[in-house]
Amino acid sequence: MSEHETVRELLSLAIAGALDASDEQRVQQHLRGCGTCAAEFELLQGVANALRRLPTPQASASLVERTRARVEWQLAAEAENRWNRRVLVFLILFAWTLVLASWPVVRLLSSGLLGWFEPGFGRTWLSLAGYTALLWLTGGVAAATLAFRRRWERRIA
Amino acid sequence: MPWGSPVGLDAEVAQLRRGDLDALAGLLARYQNRLYRYLLRLSRDPATAEDLFQQTWLRVVERIRQFDSRRSFDAWLFAVARNLAIDHLRRISPESLDEETPSGATAAAELRSTDPPALETVLARERAGRLAAAMTDLPVIYRDVLTLRFEEEMKLEEIAVVLGTPLSTVKTRLRRSLDTLRKTLEVRYPGEDWR
Repeated sequence: MSEHETVRELLSLAIAGALDASDEQRVQQHLRGCGTCAAEFELLQGVANALRRLPTPQASASLVERTRARVEWQLAAEAENRWNRRVLVFLILFAWTLVLASWPVVRLLSSGLLGWFEPGFGRTWLSLAGYTALLWLTGGVAAATLAFRRRWERRIA
Repeated sequence: MPWGSPVGLDAEVAQLRRGDLDALAGLLARYQNRLYRYLLRLSRDPATAEDLFQQTWLRVVERIRQFDSRRSFDAWLFAVARNLAIDHLRRISPESLDEETPSGATAAAELRSTDPPALETVLARERAGRLAAAMTDLPVIYRDVLTLRFEEEMKLEEIAVVLGTPLSTVKTRLRRSLDTLRKTLEVRYPGEDWR
């Protein structure tokens, strides 16, 4: 490749300020003696300058406002989700504690202290499972009702 | 100066990292036009650019803790915007990232100005409109690098961060994009003197 062809390849990079010092010097030196490359360089420089002077499209004030509102809404929703997760974990732990703590009381009230020592003690586990399911079902219905109500209130707001 | 680290930027970024939304207003004001322009150049559609603009800030708030404050926030922000824009362009048309598509009216329409309509201003505006129209004919990877280098005046190293490519790729794209733009202008507006 001749010097002329090599430098011609470098012209765009020179315009973009992407040449190292030695290549930059090489280009400048060639431009002084080559009218064709000098004209091409000038043309590319004109295009680059026109690009720099392109008017900047303005983002509308409403776009900025909408963006801010959307970000705030998103953050609020995330915070609410985090809070809901924490509440859910607490409720699960609380529900299990309640089930386990209340079961002996229920058992005591239904069959008296001697019931613990009955030969059919295996049925106790069946009763415990039924009791647990009943409590969880009640809790689940209550939680779902609250969630639906909350969603409905949010839709209205 | 569009590139650099102006006073207050670091403080606003730090505030946002702490979850202070007041900092978002400052950052939005600081970057609104530059970011919108970049997204508009990539997408060529104002409605898409607006949507990407919102998505970018949502992503920024979501991932601000991952931002390394020793690095340039500009480069990080534009990289976030670019990734979203490229994903969007890939979704709507997988070929659009490389192929040239005829268009132009949209970006040119965005070049309205409020300056008094003196003859020189009118001519300059028309010229800018023609250049913007020619830009929209270029593949997105060329529009991308031209906007970052000449409109944003980013350093090559920072463009490499935004693009996630080596410096040599940035240089190659810059060379090809300028040459292609020059040829496009020659074909679309023969005889026009751009010097």
